[in-house]
Amino acid sequence: MTDTSDLIESLAADARPVRAIRPPLVRTAGWLALAAAILLLLVVEHGLRPDLAEQLRKPSFLAGCMASAATGVLAAVGCLLGSLPDRSCRWLLLPLPTLLVWVSTIGYGCLTNWVSMDVGALRMGEAVRCFATVLAVSVPLSIAMFAMLRHAARLSPRLVTMTAGLAVAAMTSTALSLLHQIDATVMILAWNLGAAALLVALEGALGRSVLSRLARGSSLG
Amino acid sequence: MMPKNMIQAPRLRDTIATDPEEWAALMVLAQGGDGVAYRNLLVGITPYLRAIASRAHRNPSDAEDTVQDVLLTLHAVRHTYDACRPFKPWLAGIARHRVIDRLRALGRASAKEVTLELEHEAFPAAETNETLSFEVRDLQAAIRALPPGQRQAVTLLKLREESLKEASAVSGMSVGALKVATHRGIAALRQMLHERESKR
Repeated sequence: MTDTSDLIESLAADARPVRAIRPPLVRTAGWLALAAAILLLLVVEHGLRPDLAEQLRKPSFLAGCMASAATGVLAAVGCLLGSLPDRSCRWLLLPLPTLLVWVSTIGYGCLTNWVSMDVGALRMGEAVRCFATVLAVSVPLSIAMFAMLRHAARLSPRLVTMTAGLAVAAMTSTALSLLHQIDATVMILAWNLGAAALLVALEGALGRSVLSRLARGSSLG
Repeated sequence: MMPKNMIQAPRLRDTIATDPEEWAALMVLAQGGDGVAYRNLLVGITPYLRAIASRAHRNPSDAEDTVQDVLLTLHAVRHTYDACRPFKPWLAGIARHRVIDRLRALGRASAKEVTLELEHEAFPAAETNETLSFEVRDLQAAIRALPPGQRQAVTLLKLREESLKEASAVSGMSVGALKVATHRGIAALRQMLHERESKR
């Protein structure tokens, strides 16, 4: 291995200017603004679910919606704070209480409505349209979140990645509750947390190379 | 508002910093691309990092590798330092991650690998095996001290484990002469080794 003094010289020679990242709460606000903008676009394009007013009068629906939204916000705050070297990793546990409330309201939803049988033909169910909404919300939010967390790949990425996946799942589920009549919470959690777990497994299998590659561009941003 | 660290920074730029507040000032300069300040910062924090790494690793080589891991990580995530916050906890956080990572890696390695001790090592050439026991050295010396005929008989029949016929062909001695020479050689070796043993 290189001598430490040689390493210091080579690092000093590579001292390009870097822009310090903004405070975590400002970055969380930016991410939530993106989530709100996506939701607004979907409402304009798709419209709110017809029975929303009626649903909001049900305590279980209201509790589920509020808990998922709160989980999204707290998970975003938690992972953006907990990913920094000088902040406690206990921040990653921030969404746990609201997550428990949210999980307690989960229904079967899309799991039982992927396809519906028609006369002699297999017709796509409402789940496919709801899956399109899931993609429309979760993909841009995931890209934004993982771009903001590139630096975490060089520190301790596993729990941060999972919490980021939870934040995206919670925001997607909230959007879906307002737009579609079916409860897709289980599918969304499986989809987003599954994607996060896949990233964690990739990181474990291939060492730090995969996520570190994402982190390489972060020294200028 | 300009961070407090920026005020004293130019004065510190050319010094090896030992104080955490000076580290913070140098880090702000380093984030701006100042290579001299960055070098002085890295040199200044290295003893502190060595102290952290040495507490976790007994092996100095592992400790130094950890120090280098911390320096590399610091370089990769230097944009995450917030000039409004203290530098030392930020640095200690990075060091903690790297120390834990290396301890885990060493734990995994020790679970899968067996450390070879000196006595496990052997080389084809006899002279490279420095750990030959005294008995073997004594035996070799005693064999060298035998008369040529007995030495050749013992070497061919006992060390190379050749048959009497093969040894006879190689040495030109008759089978009977080989048997006699071997018998006398073994007796002489036993005598010499016994004498050496009694002298110790």
